[in-house]
Amino acid sequence: MIPSQFDYVAPTTLSEAVALLAQHADEAKILAGGHSLIPAMKLRLAMPQVLIDIGRIKDLAYIREEGSQIRIGAMTTHYQIESSDRLREICPLLPETAAQIGDVQVRNKGTIGGSLAHADPAADWPAAIIALGAEIVAVGANGERVIKADDFFVDMLTTALQPGEILREIRIAAASGRFGQAYLKVPQPASGFAVVGVAVSLTRSAAGGCESASIGVTGVASKAYRASGVENALAGSALDEPAIAAAAAHAADGVSINGDLYASDDYRRHLAQVYTRRAIEAAAARVK
Amino acid sequence: MKIEGTHEVRASRERVYQALIDPAVLQRCIPGCEKLEKTGDNSYSATLRTGVGSIKGIFTGNVRLEDMTPPTHYRMAVDGKGQPGFLKGSGELDLEERDGVTLIRYSGEVQIGGTIAGVGQRMIQGAVKMTASQFFTAIEAEAKTEAHKPPPTHGFFRTALRWFSGWLRRTFRLTWL
Repeated sequence: MIPSQFDYVAPTTLSEAVALLAQHADEAKILAGGHSLIPAMKLRLAMPQVLIDIGRIKDLAYIREEGSQIRIGAMTTHYQIESSDRLREICPLLPETAAQIGDVQVRNKGTIGGSLAHADPAADWPAAIIALGAEIVAVGANGERVIKADDFFVDMLTTALQPGEILREIRIAAASGRFGQAYLKVPQPASGFAVVGVAVSLTRSAAGGCESASIGVTGVASKAYRASGVENALAGSALDEPAIAAAAAHAADGVSINGDLYASDDYRRHLAQVYTRRAIEAAAARVK
Repeated sequence: MKIEGTHEVRASRERVYQALIDPAVLQRCIPGCEKLEKTGDNSYSATLRTGVGSIKGIFTGNVRLEDMTPPTHYRMAVDGKGQPGFLKGSGELDLEERDGVTLIRYSGEVQIGGTIAGVGQRMIQGAVKMTASQFFTAIEAEAKTEAHKPPPTHGFFRTALRWFSGWLRRTFRLTWL
């Protein structure tokens, strides 16, 4: 449980961090909350030669509103999101997801930016970020660029971030209309990671039918994905019990499922369908 | 753990088979393969520096090709160990050609132990799928080149380009490369 030797640098500005990352290229890793990277380093599964700690950079941990957009700094901890009263009002899916991550220690130190950049296939944030249609702001030597959540997750532990880029901010449109959101998961009993996690954000028309639905699923495949089949089946439906059940059956359509010792492929598919149904029901019931 | 899957390669079965048993091609196509040396008839020793995302390790091991029936079938046995763990396994590769497209069907059984199995069990299947897909995509690029043409030089060019851009970066601190 002792990591191999590494150099440690703690820049105080983002541009300094970007320059350091460019200088050390493949040998460096960005340290955010450290609740995925440090355990991997202690087991020597990750052996970066340089750690660039971005924890000393001011103004990377915040929750702000910019018009109808919510902006969250990369270093914002899960707990800060979980405990935000304002988010509970304008985007309840975020605190609901945060509350289900790991344990108290992980939520106190772990960050949303670190979790997204690490792209663990069973992490909770990716499902919520996809369901909310978020945008991810990355900064590199050439300046900033915005990546859509749907394009961000490339494969297991692999994102659209380029080698010299640092995730800086997450942007989410505040919910509007008659909306309802929910995140439901089956936690792995030992690790707390999602065996299956389903995030739903939907809107209902005045008559009660489904106007729009956006659904992200994590834990099932190599990366979190948008359940388009479910969304299409749900849109325009009556959002009653049979409609929801029929739509949820498409939860793992066209997805290459990854089983493990704890949950086989077939079991995961089944869980994805059941939890998608329950998450939609919960979101629909929450519409005011 | 069981591993199985299929991959379509747009090249003739003969070309694909040749690529799949050519050590020079394998070295270029196996993700992270640093060394592949012949140690006997159809057996090789290999060094891999491979991983997914920030999780990386160095593995050394042996690869043996058996039951070779060109151009349709062979069996591959692998054993290796490295800092993050060890693996041992074997699998069958079957090639089927239809309208100029070769369907590679692979299935096998692999045992993985050590740290990687203890803490990374839930990610192994995904990592294997990802690596297999990278491997077969590279094989397709190799097999697509015509038999009478020299083999693709992307291995060499890519290495040269990487070295050159690394040198430029180190020398001039050019950050966009």
